[in-house]
Amino acid sequence: MTSIQKILLALLLVLLIAVPPFLGLGWQNALINVLISSLFALAFNLLNGQAGLLSFGHAAYFGVGAFAALHLMIAVEDGLFFPTPLLPLAGGLAGLVVGVVAGYFSTMRSGVYFALVTLAIAELFHSLAPHLEGTFGGEAGVSSMRMPWMGFGFGTIIEVYYLTLGWVVLCGLALWAYTRTPFGRLTLALRDNEQRVKFLGYNAHYAKVIVFAVSAMMTGVAGALLAISNETANYSLFSGSVSAQVVLQTFVGGSTVFFGPVIGATVFTLFSFLISDLTRSWLFYQGLIFVLVMLYAPTGIGGVIDHHIRNRRQLDLAKIGGPYLVALGGGILIAAGTVFLTESAEVLFGQDYAMARDGAAGGFPAYDLFGLSWSPLNPVTWLVPLVLLCGGVFILIRARRVIDRLWARKDEATTDDMTVGAGGKE
Amino acid sequence: MNEITSQTPALQLSDVSKSFGPIDVLQGLNLDIRPGERHAVIGPNGAGKSTLFNLISGMFAPSSGDIRLEGNSIGGLSPHLINRAGLARSFQITNIFHRMTVFENLRIGVMARHQVRYGLFRSAAGMRRVNDETADVLNRVGLEARAQSMAGDLTYSEQRALEIGMTLTTGADVILLDEPTAGMSREETAKAAELIRKVTEGKTLLMVEHDMSVVFSLCDRVSVLVYGRILATDTPERISANREVQEAYLGQEGAK
Repeated sequence: MTSIQKILLALLLVLLIAVPPFLGLGWQNALINVLISSLFALAFNLLNGQAGLLSFGHAAYFGVGAFAALHLMIAVEDGLFFPTPLLPLAGGLAGLVVGVVAGYFSTMRSGVYFALVTLAIAELFHSLAPHLEGTFGGEAGVSSMRMPWMGFGFGTIIEVYYLTLGWVVLCGLALWAYTRTPFGRLTLALRDNEQRVKFLGYNAHYAKVIVFAVSAMMTGVAGALLAISNETANYSLFSGSVSAQVVLQTFVGGSTVFFGPVIGATVFTLFSFLISDLTRSWLFYQGLIFVLVMLYAPTGIGGVIDHHIRNRRQLDLAKIGGPYLVALGGGILIAAGTVFLTESAEVLFGQDYAMARDGAAGGFPAYDLFGLSWSPLNPVTWLVPLVLLCGGVFILIRARRVIDRLWARKDEATTDDMTVGAGGKE
Repeated sequence: MNEITSQTPALQLSDVSKSFGPIDVLQGLNLDIRPGERHAVIGPNGAGKSTLFNLISGMFAPSSGDIRLEGNSIGGLSPHLINRAGLARSFQITNIFHRMTVFENLRIGVMARHQVRYGLFRSAAGMRRVNDETADVLNRVGLEARAQSMAGDLTYSEQRALEIGMTLTTGADVILLDEPTAGMSREETAKAAELIRKVTEGKTLLMVEHDMSVVFSLCDRVSVLVYGRILATDTPERISANREVQEAYLGQEGAK
């Protein structure tokens, strides 16, 4: 890590400590969810980004961690002495144990087969949990309460926030330190070439089980933090959507960069917090973002940022900044057009509008959107998004051409460097 | 000959056979590799040379027969156990960690040798002996200038040198090299042969090699493998004079 990165991280930490007391409860809660999903994504990406094992069933270890913490909380309610701030240990331990067993079987294979086994294990939990009243509380789930400890009541959201922050920072640092250990380096070697690892004297299966277990353990901690925050959990934590969410967040954030998953988790969690109240189509927008990132920036947001940092010396930021702003403008126009069409479709195909049509004897009455009234039969209504989309695409294509040219110039500069380097060697 | 037979062979194959379904790739193969010798296996394509290497290194288990490394049976063990027993191999198709630096490629093997295989509670950068030894292997294969380059960015012959370097890192006494000079120019081949001679000093070497100039300059003995059987094992000079071998293998080369 360079000193600039260290300073930025420290600054971020100071902000995360200092700002939340001045925020509303809704924001404090949203930040707790950001932190939890960040840890979840980091733990997931240990397996996905570093070991090259894409798991489609990480909800299993997230859920196991949550239920383990809740059962410990119930025991504490019943009089067991256990410090409330250490509750996530239960989640970590449960994740580790289940991770060793599940990891042993799933890492017998790699690639698609590995992904399918992890998926099957998570589905096993998802379908068994509603029937196991004792362990998972049936369909209603398990609930408990945070008990006070040493003068901390853990009754307010801000206390839970700091508890979560502490654990996420601790686990995040541990995961980062992991990459610097001999085993962390071996993990990368497993991703690159498992066969060669075997022929260099390592038991590759054993090594993969360890990576899997560490990932499941950290995921379990994240699940426990969610349970502590919500004071309840049910079998829906094991659902495929939880497993899918962490995959989406990690890939949008960038799986090739260590902190990429944090970016993805933050973007998606805040997006759902801010947008889900405004429109019912927010899941559609989330999916759209995922598809666009995969198509046009497959290394994710983190990967794009990393690419720019790596090439900062060869890039003329003053020159490229202008076209980037223009491209952003084009993107905003396209987004506006897309939102207009999506929201119009939601209104026009909705039940309320069907009733309004009945009221208007089968005609197409005007509808309200963005504080204005639009008639579906008026061409202007459809010209607006059309102009937005076409204009946006036009601007974006033009800007992209300029940007491509500037990047190509940078590449020429590096090729020159390389020829000089090679010449010097001879 | 008597003094040699009294020595335990570094590698001994007794009546080793391998079949894939109905196809017998190797049939009743016997081969003794003496400690410290450089031994080449030659033979036409499809003779079973790669299968032979895969059996010895543990990629496949033999269908029957016994393989002994310094007297201990290793036939059918998994690759990592055979490596720990003291045998390392390189691959015909370059088999490296493409997205890691050259230094780290070599360090993975050195780590295995120093028993820090699964170290989770120490810093990789702080392992002085491991890092020193990695630097040493790096120098021996002549890649010190490329230490921090991504292995995937190396030239082909540099990757072949790295391939040999990785084979050395685990400290094995018996080295198997699978066509180390395949695809190289004449000049690169000469360099590679020199490198192999240097780095296998004091070790036992078994190599598959097509380039006869490398075989003649480097190897003490040659075995000719044809259709899953060893046709002859002898010094390079006598092998090239062997009528049977000429017909089976060298004749094809000469006819070109």
